[in-house]
Amino acid sequence: MTFSDRLVGIVDYRAGNIHSIENAFETLGARVTFVRQEADIASVTHLVLPGVGAFGHCAEKLQATGLVAPLHRAVFDERRPLLGICVGMQLLADHGEEAGGHDGLGWLGGTVRAMTAPTPAIRIPHVGWNDVRFEEDFGGFSVGDAPDFYFDHSFAYREPRDGRVIGSCDHGGRFAAIVGAGNVVAVQFHPEKSQSSGMRFLTGFLAM
Amino acid sequence: MLKKRIIPKLLIKHRALGAVTRPVLVTTRGYRDIREVGDPVSQAKIYEAHLADELIVLNIDGTGLAGDETMLGLIERLATETFMPLAVGGGVRSCDDFGMLLARGADKITINRAAVENPALIAEAAKRYGAQCVVVSIDYRTIDGRPEVFVGHAAEPTGLDVLDFARRVHDLGAGEIVLTSADRDGGGSGIDLVVLRAVADAVPIPVIASGGCGLASHFTDAFLEGRAEGVAAGTFFCFRDQNPMQARAHIRNAGIPIRMEV
Repeated sequence: MTFSDRLVGIVDYRAGNIHSIENAFETLGARVTFVRQEADIASVTHLVLPGVGAFGHCAEKLQATGLVAPLHRAVFDERRPLLGICVGMQLLADHGEEAGGHDGLGWLGGTVRAMTAPTPAIRIPHVGWNDVRFEEDFGGFSVGDAPDFYFDHSFAYREPRDGRVIGSCDHGGRFAAIVGAGNVVAVQFHPEKSQSSGMRFLTGFLAM
Repeated sequence: MLKKRIIPKLLIKHRALGAVTRPVLVTTRGYRDIREVGDPVSQAKIYEAHLADELIVLNIDGTGLAGDETMLGLIERLATETFMPLAVGGGVRSCDDFGMLLARGADKITINRAAVENPALIAEAAKRYGAQCVVVSIDYRTIDGRPEVFVGHAAEPTGLDVLDFARRVHDLGAGEIVLTSADRDGGGSGIDLVVLRAVADAVPIPVIASGGCGLASHFTDAFLEGRAEGVAAGTFFCFRDQNPMQARAHIRNAGIPIRMEV
């Protein structure tokens, strides 16, 4: 499959490692641009909301860009595919509990909560490669597949009210690793850091 | 199930060649005896092909980061030419240094001297970037049976007890500890399992063991007896005709969860 007709717009709100994401999409043959103001959204076919850092810090920075309303229009009125990564996924919730609690965008509902360790062998933050069990087919993956992806987080999205759990992961309890709702897909792991399984996943997103 | 990690460690020095300063990959023994190995980017690509789970990249020249295009440019190249998580450190003193490295492609930041001299940085960085981003690298030497925290390439004693310090950095918000026995660094005689286990039992965050891997069985020991979440090694992968894939097969055969295929 060739993706030369795809123009991926990565939302740049100074919260995360956007170059790795840029490089991953370019390697797959897509074109990439950065979305810093409303006009940048016009020509993109796919949108990526990244995010590394604390939930509240990212939420404030994203709100400060003034991009929230234009992004909502592009995703929900114009139905352009959106991929949320890590805190970019968590921001789709109504609320995040990290550091006293902050409001998210509320696009998929639910709450992002602190992960807990039922035994000392389970360490938090959840850092490293863990298998994601696909509950639905997505891209090149089928129900029951369990590829490893790279995670680095202390908070998790357990009940996305308005989304389906496409893939789940277990670390002291199962949480939503991949959530989907129509043209929105969001992942807790870092596909851009997950070597070949990550590239396969991003291929699935570009095919949307 | 979360997999245990094998983490090649790239130690970087600046090397001036005429008007150009390039980053070079080196190994050390006991934090001294520096040997130049080659180009860090090509070595990182080899590690990626061997399924390294993550990379630790440390500037060991003791210089600050602001304006250091040699180091910042290296991180950007590693982030654009490989698809591996990068933990980066060496000379990180402030939250702005965190931001500078993250913007150039680092995923996690390791601090060493700053954690001792300015512990408030741990809390400040964790608040802004999340605990998962803040890695404290603890170097120690065992003096009269007591493991003591050292800084400055493990040349300067701090008087701090390793266990007390590990608990303190966790309380301040660190998300991970890289624990290095400076006595064992580059020696290949095995990981110091006693101190590793004590630290891993003292804190609920992941502990990465480093210093002393000479055999694949040393990794297994660190995971099973030492309760490490990951093992970092530099010299082992540079000089011993060993690669992360071979170590991985040994670890898998010992029944430890580890990534085997991409």
